[in-house]
Amino acid sequence: MEEKDLIKKLEEISLPAIELPTHKARLKSVLIERYFQEKRRGEFFGFFRKLLPVGMVAIILIILISTNLIFPKYSLAKAKEIALQDPQIKEWVEKGAVIKDVEIIQNRAYVLIQPPEKTREVPIEGKTAIGVPSVSNVEKEEFKGALAEVNMREKKITKIEKITPPIITLTETEKEKVREIAEKDLKVSGIIPKEAEIQEISSLPPQLELIKKGNSVQIMPEPKTENRASIIYQSGEKRWEGKIDLSKERVEEVKFLGEIEE
Amino acid sequence: MNLDEERELVERAKKDSEAFGKLYDEYYSKIFGYILKRVANLDIAQDICSETFLKALKNLWKFRWKNISLSAWLYRIANNEITNFFRKKKHKLVSLEKISEPIDGSNPEIELIEAEDRLKMHQDFLKIQEKILKLPPKYQEVITLRFFEKKQIKEIGEILGKKEGTIKSLLHRGLGKLKEDFFETK
Repeated sequence: MEEKDLIKKLEEISLPAIELPTHKARLKSVLIERYFQEKRRGEFFGFFRKLLPVGMVAIILIILISTNLIFPKYSLAKAKEIALQDPQIKEWVEKGAVIKDVEIIQNRAYVLIQPPEKTREVPIEGKTAIGVPSVSNVEKEEFKGALAEVNMREKKITKIEKITPPIITLTETEKEKVREIAEKDLKVSGIIPKEAEIQEISSLPPQLELIKKGNSVQIMPEPKTENRASIIYQSGEKRWEGKIDLSKERVEEVKFLGEIEE
Repeated sequence: MNLDEERELVERAKKDSEAFGKLYDEYYSKIFGYILKRVANLDIAQDICSETFLKALKNLWKFRWKNISLSAWLYRIANNEITNFFRKKKHKLVSLEKISEPIDGSNPEIELIEAEDRLKMHQDFLKIQEKILKLPPKYQEVITLRFFEKKQIKEIGEILGKKEGTIKSLLHRGLGKLKEDFFETK
């Protein structure tokens, strides 16, 4: 098909002109109701914005004095310190896990521990790749993350919950996009030989963060670490990995994984 | 509504809900229609449309008039919401359930079913839209705006915040990829 034929087809196509009056009316009601909420919020903060130049110092002083006198200081550093006293958490950290985030709500701290980001294993029968753990060496119960609850008053861990981050499967379209982004990237063409073949394209699990929700926390993916993929290349015995940001359509890094040996 | 009238209405809408309501009435059909042409699904279009107008409401106070119609800004929000939807493969439901009673005795379920039947009658559109959906979002946007929304290159540039030359280039490349898909299907 020629481009001009395609353009003609697109220009002449019969387009749906569909309305949903009920949705239109209901949405308008919700929006008007929300309008007033937003306005009240704006007026509330607007009042303080006016006060700010005049009473800023006084207000800040009052808050500082009252929090220091009435409420004890619960610091994030203290919460981390208490968490690291736990033998299980200490073991995870010694094996490479990190304390990714801490949130304090009243007298409780929530500590999020995540394993370091590492290359997904692509096992090859009878062989192991240096730098890439073989399937047989992988621990049966791999640590995927945990959330610890700390009682700041009693200075001890009250609960540790293991977490399982969601596994995201890439669609064929997304895999194709990963290929395209990698093919056009100078880092990839500079480091990876042309004859290298793609072995695997998979999603990279996002880093997690804690979001306060009422009297507790929710574990959510960090927005800027979502929508990333890994692409593994192999040429002979050598392997490389590219990390792709699908949202920004760019290659974040390319690294040499090592050589496969018998 | 000309640009001057719109500008005045936008400024009033920042403080007056009735003015905001007028803007909503003016642009709902256009924005909903655009979203529907992008996603070809009425349920999803409703949700994305709701999110679009909610975002517009939340951010209206930040909107600075640059002698470009408000509709360009609304299209841009809609584009972002559509991209977010396809990226996350889920959509946040805006709680219209707050309003428990249907308005004016209307039945939204029947309305939706009838609308879906009308949509299914546009088979040519649905087939071509399926192919457009396989393209990267940057090509989907320009093709839909140009051929389905009948926007000029300049307008598309205002909506997407890109230069006219870039829009033409994206259109040309997008049509090239779409053409390949037609060729492969044959």
